Amino acid sequence: MSVEAVIVERWVDRALKSYPSEMHSFLGGEKDPFRNPVGNTFRENLAALVHELLGTMDKEKIAGALDGLVRLRAVQNFTPGEALHFVFDLRPVIGEVSGAISDPLQSRIDELALMAFDQYMSCRERIFELRINELRMWARSAAAGEGGTP
Amino acid sequence: MPETLVQIEPKPPRGDWRNPKVEFRKGAMCYSAAAKNLTYLGLPNPRAWQPADSDWKLPPDWKKIILDGMKDRLAKYRSFRLFMDICVRCGACADKCHFYLGTADPKNMPVARAELIRSVYRRYFTLTGRLFGSLAGGRELTEDVIKEWFYYFYQCTQCRRCSVFCPYGIDTAEITLIGRELLNLIGCNINWVMEPVANCYRTGNHLGIQPHGFKDSIDFAADEASEITGLDIEVPINRKGAEILFVMPSADYFATPHYYTLLGYMMLFREIGLDYTVSAYASEGGNFGSFASHELMKRLNAKIYDEARRLGVKWILGGECGHMWRVLHQYMDTMNGPADFLEVPVSPITGTVFEHARSTKMVHICEFTADLIHHGKIKLDPRRNDHWTVTYHDSCNPARGMGLLEEPRYILNHVSRRFHEMPENTIREQTFCCGSGAGLGTDENLEVRLRGGFPRANAVKYVKQKHGVNLLTCICAIDKATLPTLLEYWVPGVEVGGIHELVGNALVMTGEKERTTDLRGEPLAREEVMAGGESEAAHA
Repeated sequence: MSVEAVIVERWVDRALKSYPSEMHSFLGGEKDPFRNPVGNTFRENLAALVHELLGTMDKEKIAGALDGLVRLRAVQNFTPGEALHFVFDLRPVIGEVSGAISDPLQSRIDELALMAFDQYMSCRERIFELRINELRMWARSAAAGEGGTP
Repeated sequence: MPETLVQIEPKPPRGDWRNPKVEFRKGAMCYSAAAKNLTYLGLPNPRAWQPADSDWKLPPDWKKIILDGMKDRLAKYRSFRLFMDICVRCGACADKCHFYLGTADPKNMPVARAELIRSVYRRYFTLTGRLFGSLAGGRELTEDVIKEWFYYFYQCTQCRRCSVFCPYGIDTAEITLIGRELLNLIGCNINWVMEPVANCYRTGNHLGIQPHGFKDSIDFAADEASEITGLDIEVPINRKGAEILFVMPSADYFATPHYYTLLGYMMLFREIGLDYTVSAYASEGGNFGSFASHELMKRLNAKIYDEARRLGVKWILGGECGHMWRVLHQYMDTMNGPADFLEVPVSPITGTVFEHARSTKMVHICEFTADLIHHGKIKLDPRRNDHWTVTYHDSCNPARGMGLLEEPRYILNHVSRRFHEMPENTIREQTFCCGSGAGLGTDENLEVRLRGGFPRANAVKYVKQKHGVNLLTCICAIDKATLPTLLEYWVPGVEVGGIHELVGNALVMTGEKERTTDLRGEPLAREEVMAGGESEAAHA
């Protein structure tokens, strides 16, 4: 197994520990992406992130992978810190695998964290925007129907 | 360098499932039912309260009320007693719930959700539970347990996906319904269910639209359908002696994208010259009562047969609705039947006898339209839907609640040239719920809905990436109301529509003017415009 694959595996394992312990074997074990969409979101996107962090740091690819993860974490029952903790899980994982983290890699992880914050805020704003849109729609319907509130 | 942060092990302690403490957070809970709605329906304990309050203002004898209520229901519903006794915790249902998959909360395993009530059953209604309490899997009934029931029974959309996988056929939707019934006894219910129920009871539909408002909406839509086609389209309302009563979900005439489906129905009925009527009294197919209790379900459902009898129709045709069909298929006949004053439905166009509806006398619009297409009675130009790359979301109740799997696909394959299925384990009997059914589809509960809708959206994202899907079709009013928001969040760029919207687009009507737009007013693609109404591609 390549170093990259080991990092991905351990990062996924660590990140999924943010869920209740009863969930770990399912989230980590079930490979069908449609039977286990949460586990699959982590596997697929963390692998893409590791590839970029150790590679060319393609911003577009990083943003895509972060989006998949953060979009999910932003609606689950987490505080903002808990939701984005998976980014910081990477440091101990790399530490375990390679003993030390180089300065450039530290910077890249920091950059990743900042991008994750931006993405998280954007998801939360989107949720509130969608809520307002629904309220507006219902208000219009109620007015049109001369009835009570739905 | 935040070394301390690096050291954090975010492992929650292994919890005890018997601990009922839950936390209600704004954005992830439904608001309580307004007192006026409970009063209107004659339900107990109307008051001002919210789930996040510490004091729920329960009646002093709430515990006795709940236990008496359980006792009554254990005697009345053999299914309930069976479901309480028979589960062997095999776990087949565990990972099948969309809320479990989306929330990653172990108590959202259907077996665990049922266990919340089963543990109370064991403690108070079994000998071993009474003698040995928690050793026999029993739990004391406390206020925290009531709050926990509320928290989890309003995180179940009664979609019955878990039941497909249960070797004993335990119907978790029934358990949820009984759980909600018990909560109703002490006034713990949500407004998104009770206000529509009160409105339906009062005026016949969930927004409380009165008969003149209903007529205005229908007339407005008929005018628009006339304008699109250049034909004179009228919709009869409350017409006695019509052959068929057509019942649709009320959202079809007040919400989008449902409205385009309504246009599609109207155009189809005009083209085949159907002798039908709609009704201002039975102006709601959706049965919000089925989210609350058997009794409320029955009260609302009765309106359909009552109106069929009053108008003297021969049989009933139903629109693209979800829960209406589960209620029809599983309850209506014994609950409000027998409908012996109606005739066995026969299509006046094809002569097909709808044998499967011999007892209920009610046929689904997709069955009716698929039969028309099968017999070559309508002319369709699927190229008019070429701007849509379509997938089909099996709405839970028509799919699992009544087995309507093939007809919508048969229609889609005739009205669209770009239809792609989502992965096998997310469609048909295994379809994933929208996450907003059974009364949960309210804005204040959006985060829970987004969690519950994630497995469905995940499959939509797959077909969007693979085939460029940009339209998710479905045949449920709640799907059409809630999936647009969900997809805007999870899979931007995919819209939601009904099957009969696409039928309306593709339908080549006798004497119609050349179509330049679809029913949404969007211009047709160049090739479609050139094809026109007399396209060579049109086929019957």
